[in-house]
Amino acid sequence: MLKTSRGRRRMADVLTYAVLLTMTFFCLAPIVWMFLTSLKTEADIVTSQMQYLPARITFENYRAIWTQSNFPVLITNSLVVTTITVVICVLTGTLAAYAFSRLSFKGREKLMLGYLLVRMFPAVMVIIPLFVMMRTVGLVDSRFGLALAYTSFLLPLFVWMLKGFFDAAPKELESAARIDGSTRLGAMVRIILPLARNGLVASSVFIAIAAWNEFIFALMLTTGQGSRTWPVGLQLMVGEFQLPWGVLAAGGILSILPVVILFAIVQRAMVQGLTAGAVKG
Amino acid sequence: MKSVLHRGPLAKLGDLSETRYWVYLLLFPSLILLLLVVAYPTLYGFVISVREMRLTRPGLNGWVGTKHYVAMLSDRVFWISLKNTAIWVTAAIALEVAMGFVAAVALNRNVPGTKLFGVLILLPYFLPNVVAGHMWALLLDPRLGVINDILVKVRILSSYKAWFADPATAMAATIVVEAWHGFPFFALLFLAGLKGIPEDLYKAAAVDGAGPIRQFRLITVPMLRTVITAAVILRVISLVNSPDLLLVLTGGGPGNATQVLSLYAFQTAYREFNFGYAGALAVVMFVILMVFATLYIRLTRVSKD
Repeated sequence: MLKTSRGRRRMADVLTYAVLLTMTFFCLAPIVWMFLTSLKTEADIVTSQMQYLPARITFENYRAIWTQSNFPVLITNSLVVTTITVVICVLTGTLAAYAFSRLSFKGREKLMLGYLLVRMFPAVMVIIPLFVMMRTVGLVDSRFGLALAYTSFLLPLFVWMLKGFFDAAPKELESAARIDGSTRLGAMVRIILPLARNGLVASSVFIAIAAWNEFIFALMLTTGQGSRTWPVGLQLMVGEFQLPWGVLAAGGILSILPVVILFAIVQRAMVQGLTAGAVKG
Repeated sequence: MKSVLHRGPLAKLGDLSETRYWVYLLLFPSLILLLLVVAYPTLYGFVISVREMRLTRPGLNGWVGTKHYVAMLSDRVFWISLKNTAIWVTAAIALEVAMGFVAAVALNRNVPGTKLFGVLILLPYFLPNVVAGHMWALLLDPRLGVINDILVKVRILSSYKAWFADPATAMAATIVVEAWHGFPFFALLFLAGLKGIPEDLYKAAAVDGAGPIRQFRLITVPMLRTVITAAVILRVISLVNSPDLLLVLTGGGPGNATQVLSLYAFQTAYREFNFGYAGALAVVMFVILMVFATLYIRLTRVSKD
């Protein structure tokens, strides 16, 4: 009896590792292949006999994308747009998340549902009117305009995620501060915000990644060098100049580098926030 | 000690936070912003869909009523896109749910190393569609694709295949790419759901003599139902709405083999500047999503009772 159950457990463990290894391979292999391609010379990429590992490691592709295209400008634009988006979301979203988490008021449930429903609107349905509106006020091809457009889907997400973190912060400390004579504002700034610091960082990083990666809004709302972000620029380069695979791979690796680093640093808190929001909603 | 001058406005704000206006003050900024960038554009979107609006021909302007909606009925590409949207979303989500579930069950066994596996499996979900698209275009390239090379070496294929250029395989190939990108989302949510099931339930079931399969059917699946419903709805919405991946991979081609509604609407606006018709397409998508979400939630509720 004992023997078979132990045997069964070992079998299950082996199966578990087999599944996890296969899935990890499936997830990582494309990224690894792109990385290898970015280190290959053109002669090693375009071959009649597939060259799996680079015969000679070269950084020429990285040099090419950085110095022979407007990639640095694109990256700068993306950085600016991402920063503005995060600043807007943190400034306005933190207040709303706090209100939803700590204060009771009329229409609270309905308003929260409203913030959730915003995600149902097709991006295309919002993009077209936004384009017309922004053209009227001169915000097309502006980094601030694009960041504003991003808040349309990232602000509700931010509020929901952060509300989850606020909910998890113990209420007792806040009550104690209030009894000691602190105002609501004081309790929020001195007690709740420091307690939910990790959540605030995780939620900010999550929307930063989303803003950094966004493509469709950027394609529609940016028309020139002034505000074009890297996903649009990279895509246009592929279309216009028949970008060599090695250079494209180098561009891809450079642009996902910040994402991978940020993700590695805060993935634990981010995962927590994502699942809490979605499971409840 | 802070100076009196500094304390002035802050103290005032502190006093204000004790009044009943405080909550409205907190909500005001985000609410105004969302009204401005979501609510107003959405309403305006409905208006655009019943107007003629082409940026290339500013003279053409004005109310046209249901013209665009009527035109849609006889638009061959619209019907193809509608059908493709259904196929694409259904197949991709079925695949993602299955893979996500297997991954979640494996991760939930907490074998040594699980944390690292969890992080690595989650990574694709956070990568940009543009890079994901080109990454897979490179893997499946008809001349240089490593997947072609492997398949030929193990003799599944006799020669390299142009996966995205062949109408017979284009859709399937894009679904695999989408599954790669999207399954971690389900793994993440399912894992959270699995962790929420009390261990005692399984112990009690085991005492009552239920084997692993019955435990799975009678405990795991019912306990996960809310999570599955929520995850599927969120993913359907995001898949129906986002044309990114198909725009990068195929542009809707070959022919219209991978054309979907979101991409069709986007191209109508972006390439032809026919905002009126594109707006009408977006409205139809919105209505379809609303109907789907309502029906789906109702059906899953009914089956629970």
